[in-house]
Amino acid sequence: MPLPVITEENIQQLLPEVESATPIGRGGQKVVFRIVYKADPLALKFALLPATFQADNADIDETVLRAQRETQIMQDCDSPHIVKLGSIPLGTAVIDGQNVLYFSEELIEGSALNELLRLNGPLPAAEVVKLGQQMCSAIGELWSLGKIHRDIKPGNIMRREADGNYVLLDAGLAFDVAGESISAGFMVGTMAYFSPEQFDYTSRRTMDFRSDIFSLGVTLYEAATGQHPFFSPNTSTPHLFTKITKHVPPPPSSLAAGISDAVDRIILRMMGKSPHLRYRKLEQLVAALGSLEAE
Amino acid sequence: MAFYIQHGHGKSDKVDEAIESGLATGVIFGARNEKLANLEKCVEWVRERNGAVLFDPQFHVSALVPANDRFLPEYPYYKVGRTVSDFVGIKRLAGYAKTTLDFEMTLGPDRLLSPTVIFDSFESKWCQIALNLADASLDYHSGLKGAPPLLLSFVIGEQALESRSELDSFLDQLTSWDALSGAYLTISRDDSSYSQRFNPERLANTLYMNYVLGHINGLEVTNGFSDFCGLFYRAVGSSTFATGWSQGLRQFHRRSFTKQKPGGQPPLLRYTSAPLLNSILLSELQQIFENGELEAVLSNVPYDSVITEANSPDDSDWNGRTSELHHWQTLSGLEKQVGQNVKTNITNLEERISTAEDLYLALENEGVVFSVKSRPEHLEQWSEALQTFREIASL
Repeated sequence: MPLPVITEENIQQLLPEVESATPIGRGGQKVVFRIVYKADPLALKFALLPATFQADNADIDETVLRAQRETQIMQDCDSPHIVKLGSIPLGTAVIDGQNVLYFSEELIEGSALNELLRLNGPLPAAEVVKLGQQMCSAIGELWSLGKIHRDIKPGNIMRREADGNYVLLDAGLAFDVAGESISAGFMVGTMAYFSPEQFDYTSRRTMDFRSDIFSLGVTLYEAATGQHPFFSPNTSTPHLFTKITKHVPPPPSSLAAGISDAVDRIILRMMGKSPHLRYRKLEQLVAALGSLEAE
Repeated sequence: MAFYIQHGHGKSDKVDEAIESGLATGVIFGARNEKLANLEKCVEWVRERNGAVLFDPQFHVSALVPANDRFLPEYPYYKVGRTVSDFVGIKRLAGYAKTTLDFEMTLGPDRLLSPTVIFDSFESKWCQIALNLADASLDYHSGLKGAPPLLLSFVIGEQALESRSELDSFLDQLTSWDALSGAYLTISRDDSSYSQRFNPERLANTLYMNYVLGHINGLEVTNGFSDFCGLFYRAVGSSTFATGWSQGLRQFHRRSFTKQKPGGQPPLLRYTSAPLLNSILLSELQQIFENGELEAVLSNVPYDSVITEANSPDDSDWNGRTSELHHWQTLSGLEKQVGQNVKTNITNLEERISTAEDLYLALENEGVVFSVKSRPEHLEQWSEALQTFREIASL
C-alpha cells in the first residue's frame, strides 16, 4: 500500500504551528517536507505504518521502533556530520484513513551525494578526502555509542550548501551491537553497499564499525571514480553478493584521472574482504586520509 | 627487527654469550626452566647488558596432563591440573590475569605476556578460553600504571591453521580490541621431533596471521619457538622471533611440556647451514667436506671457524654448545637481511629457497646422503607456502 498523499493542509491540521510545508523528497514508503515550525526551518518525515499497525501496540511495531531508534541516535549524537533531531517529536497519526508516523530533523539545505555524482560526475580528490574524514567523524560518533550505521551510501549523505560539509542521514538502521536487534534474521540496508559480513547472519553479532568502513570505502570509490566497484545495471543479486565477498575491484586510479596510489591504497583497504584487513582504528583511517591532504 | 633467545633447560652461559656478543638482542625467559629464586638475577644480568627481557609465564602448562612443569609450581600464578571448569567465570579469569601480570611486573620486563592456554582449533572451547584470558589481561593491563606494553599470548596447535575461515574470524576478533598493542604467538608443532617440515597450507596461514597482525594492523608481533620459520614470520610483518638452543627448544613441541618416559639418546650433533636452510648432521657435513664442497654450505658466521680451522668437521671440536651458538649466529645473520618491504622479502626468501634446492641437488648428485630430517623436502613445502601466502595476501 503506498503512502497517502499528504498535503500542507494535513500537516497544519496535525501540527497547527507549522507555517509552511513543501515536499522535498518522496520514496515508496516515506515523504519528507521542508517546513517552517515556530519560525525554524525543519525537515518533517512521514512514513507509512503497516496495515497491521495498532495504536495500542505501537511500542512493538517494527517501523515505530526503527523510528524511535533513529530519533534516539540523533538525540544522542553530537557530531556535526550526523543529522540532528528537530523539535517535533516522534508521533503517529491517521491521514486519509492510513496510519503514518512522523518526526522532524534538522533541515540540511543542499544536495544528496548520489545526486551530486549523477549531475557533476566524480568528486575531486581533495573533496573525496574531506568526505572520508567527515564520514569517519560520523562513524566514530556512532561507534562511541556502540552503534553501527549499516546503510552508509551516497543516497544517505547530504552535502550542506552553506559550508560544503557532509552530513550522514538515516540512522534508522543503526544496530546496537550490545543489544538485541529488532530486525533479527533479516538483512537490512542497501545491498550494493553491504560489507561482506552483513550478508552473513551468523557474524551479525560480532560486526563492528569496520562494517561501516567498508560501506564508506564503496562510497568513496564511487565518489572518486563515478563508478560503483561492484554493481552495474546488469548485476544480479547473486552476482552482486559474489562480487562484494570475493572480487577485488580495480584501483580507482585505473578508472579516473588524478587519483594517487595512496588514495587507491586507502580506498581498497577500506574495502578489505575481512574486517581484519581494514583499519582497526578510525584514527588510523583519519590519519591516512589526513596524509593525503599534504600531497 | 630483532632476534631473541628462548630460554629453556640447561641455560649454562649460552644466553650470556649470545647477549654479550650481540647476536641476540633479548631473551624470553621461561618460568618452567628457572628457579624462582634465580630469575631476578638472570633478568638483571641481561638488563645490565642492555638486552631486552620478556618473561613467558607458561601458564598454559597448567592445563597439560601430565605436566612436565619443573619449576613452575614455585610461581604464584601456577597451579597444576587446571581443567575447563577452572576457566569458568569472568572473576576467575580476571584473577589469573592479575596474578600473572602482577608477577611479571616485579621483574620489570620490556613487555608483559598474558596468560594463555593451548588450543588446536579456533572453534574449540580452549580457544574461547584463550580469548577470554586475553580479554581479561587487556582489561587488567589498562589499569596498571607505568606498565610496559602487553603482548597477548596465544599458543596455537598447528592443525588449527588449516581452516582459513576460522582463522579469519579469530583475526577479526583480535583486531577488534582497541587496546591491543601486540601479540606473542607460538605455534605448537605436530611433529613430535625436530624437523623443518611444515604443512604448506598451515604455514601459509601462519604467515597470513603474522602479516595481518604485524603488517596490516601495525601490531607488535613476537614469535616464540620459531626456529627457521621465524625468518618467514619476520619477512611478512612480525617484529621479533625467538628460538631456543637444543632441538627440543628451537620449536614448540607439546611433548616437551608433558611428562615422557625416561630414556632416549642425546641428540646427534648438527650444523646449521644458511645456504641449505637446514640443520644437518655433523656426519653429513663431513661427507660434504670429503666431496670438496664445504665452502658451499658454510653459514659464514664466526663459529664456522671451529670447523674451518680443523682438519675436517669430524676432527673439529664441534660440540653441543658450539652447535647451539652457531645456530643462533646463523639465524641472527639471516634475520638481519630481512627488510621492510614484504613483497621484496618474499622474493628474497623464494630465491634463497631456490638456491638451497639447487645446492641440495648438486650435493646429492655428488653422492652426499642426507638423513630424513636433513633432506630438502621442507624447501618445497616452504616454497608452496610462500606461493599460497602470496595468493591469499594478494601480493
